[in-house]
Amino acid sequence: MRNNRRDKSKGLLSALAMLMLACALLVPTTALALTTNKATARPNEDGGSGVIGGLDTRLTWEGTVEAGEEVSAVTLTLPDDGTFDDSSTKITVLEGLSRASVEGEAVASGSKLEVTFSEPITEGYLLRLEVEGMRFPSEGGDVVVGGTYVNQDGEQQLADSKPIATIANTPLQALVASLDEAAWVQVWNSNPFLGMFFKPQLLVTAFATLVPGWLLCLLIVVIAYPFAIVLGLIFALMKISKNRLLRLIAIVYVNVLRGTPLFLQIYIMFFGLPMMNINIDNNVLGVIVIAINASAYLAEIFRAGIQSIPQGQYEAASSLGMNYFQTMFDIILPQTIRRVIPTVTSDFITSYKDTSLLSSVGVMELMMFAKNLTSVSGNMTPYVAAAIFYLIVTLPLIKAVGYVEERIAHSERGGGPRPKGKTAKTSAAEAGVKLSELAVHAEALDDEHAYAPTLTPSFASEV
Amino acid sequence: MLGKKLTHTINVDVPPAMEANEAARIAFEHDLPLSRHHFVEGEHPVVRIEHLMKTFDGETQVLRDVNLNVWNGEIVVVLGPSGSGKSTMLRCINLLETPTAGHILIDDEEITGKSSKEVGIIRRDLGMVFQQFNLFPHLTAKENVMIGQTKVLKKSKEEAEAEAIKQLEAVGLGDRADYKPPQLSGGQQQRVAIARAVAMHPKVLLFDEPTSALDPELVRDVLGVMRELALYGDMTMIVVTHEMGFARDVGDRVVFMEGGVVVEQGLPEEVFDHPKHDRTKQFLGSIN
Repeated sequence: MRNNRRDKSKGLLSALAMLMLACALLVPTTALALTTNKATARPNEDGGSGVIGGLDTRLTWEGTVEAGEEVSAVTLTLPDDGTFDDSSTKITVLEGLSRASVEGEAVASGSKLEVTFSEPITEGYLLRLEVEGMRFPSEGGDVVVGGTYVNQDGEQQLADSKPIATIANTPLQALVASLDEAAWVQVWNSNPFLGMFFKPQLLVTAFATLVPGWLLCLLIVVIAYPFAIVLGLIFALMKISKNRLLRLIAIVYVNVLRGTPLFLQIYIMFFGLPMMNINIDNNVLGVIVIAINASAYLAEIFRAGIQSIPQGQYEAASSLGMNYFQTMFDIILPQTIRRVIPTVTSDFITSYKDTSLLSSVGVMELMMFAKNLTSVSGNMTPYVAAAIFYLIVTLPLIKAVGYVEERIAHSERGGGPRPKGKTAKTSAAEAGVKLSELAVHAEALDDEHAYAPTLTPSFASEV
Repeated sequence: MLGKKLTHTINVDVPPAMEANEAARIAFEHDLPLSRHHFVEGEHPVVRIEHLMKTFDGETQVLRDVNLNVWNGEIVVVLGPSGSGKSTMLRCINLLETPTAGHILIDDEEITGKSSKEVGIIRRDLGMVFQQFNLFPHLTAKENVMIGQTKVLKKSKEEAEAEAIKQLEAVGLGDRADYKPPQLSGGQQQRVAIARAVAMHPKVLLFDEPTSALDPELVRDVLGVMRELALYGDMTMIVVTHEMGFARDVGDRVVFMEGGVVVEQGLPEEVFDHPKHDRTKQFLGSIN
């Protein structure tokens, strides 16, 4: 791929123009320095903007020929571990905006690149060397491109370039590079779908790049959730309170938050608060928005949970003389919590996924990283990587919800009568003894208690 | 006979409480079998219900005019067809239902029209055993018996635990102390519920159809515990039940309710074998 970009054209036309210009400006001058204008490298990080050592990249070096000089050769030198081997060099000579063509030959040998020109390049010309396929030292760090050049007075020292920041070639980058080379990867990527959504190199890069975003997502939701639980509980208790005002406040709070998109809530908080000169760190504000939003849903979950506890539990607590708070905190809420764990976990999953909306206001969370990587690489794979990061958390939780639900269903059979069905097995003798009493049971139970167990038909007929 | 006269007086003419107390005194003096309970001269009833009325939703009148006195240590069994208001009356006694009108006095102290805080204090004296047990499913049997003691009576954990073990052993569940309600049978759950109520040492124990939700084979255990409690526990009990055997054997007095009033009351054998009111006869006839 990157190899394909190697441009080996030399440009005969530009060489001809260069020749003409060189003749016109041929004036003997004193020896001055060939000025190094710049030396830059193209990012070779997959989906990133870094320059990685030890991997193919393109070095662009520019220098201006000073007055009175005639440059016939330039040698660029890299630190020892850098290499120009297997590179191809494009030579461009410019005067102002017009382009001259100079015949030149680049010979690479290890960390040296020797470029010789067929014609000496004279004063005022801009010399640009684009070395495709060279590699910086794999240990990374700031790399200075130095070297020598030859003018009419002989070999001169070339001024060092400004340092180019490079990244060490990690095992990850080595893996990406090896994937770049691998045949199966090329076959894989030649499929438009696989190449666009599951490009192996990018998947590897994305996993590494997205980690900070993923951690921020987790951090936001993990910090926000305890607050959401406390807030939700308060509003749940307010909503079932006997006080009308408290009830009204809770209803408005819950309904407004549940009735508007989180996206809107995020916008209002992130753009509204700064307008009121309230400036809160983006990440903290993210926590606040997620906590408030989740609290509204949790309030409803808790309210439903509290109201699902049978009246008998309140009555039993009351009959022991327990007050409202004792009843709530010692009897009702512990049972409620057990019951709502699956729903709350589901809500936690939702909140965790909802942190993705914070990317819309610039919080550097998972989606933001994925979005950046996608816009750099022009490939959807980072989004797939993000999806995997979401699933790493959500799938085990979903599994856990199922398990807890099963456990709860199992243990919920207490607290009231156990399921009936054994009645019919009562022996005839025993049944005879209890017959008169059962008749009364049946009569009483049918009329008075909706919750009462029913007699099995076989037994009822005996009665 | 006087028993008849008393029944008649109490229910038709609705005598003031003093007259009922007088009746008790007379019953005591003349050794009359209104109740097997041994009245003490000058004793006041521990529960005194006067003109109790309860209307649900402003239209369904469940209790029309209930008058009933229960003396300390007496076992009163309340019978009656469904819808007669016996459960509602029981629930009014510990204020799970708020009476629409009338008075309820516990140890001569009015309990109606009190603030919720006072109600909490009143309820400590009134233990309740429910038809559906209503054990706290998240607590073990022992913790169920302890929680009222620690939270309401502010006993220390050790004290409450010792009491809980004692009461669980009394109901034959010493070995189930660390089981949670879902792991217990209905009968065991109800026995824990009884232990929970007794551990509070209430003045009165109220039983609201304690065996109605149980499998027939489990009823006997619960009745056994109640019987022991009644005979040896020195406890005042008001039992709403359909267990005629229990009423006859254990009850000091049987009260028959119908249509929101007490129709007839007296010694169990009197009410069962010689019912005076047609409705009582009809009810007893339907189950014999």
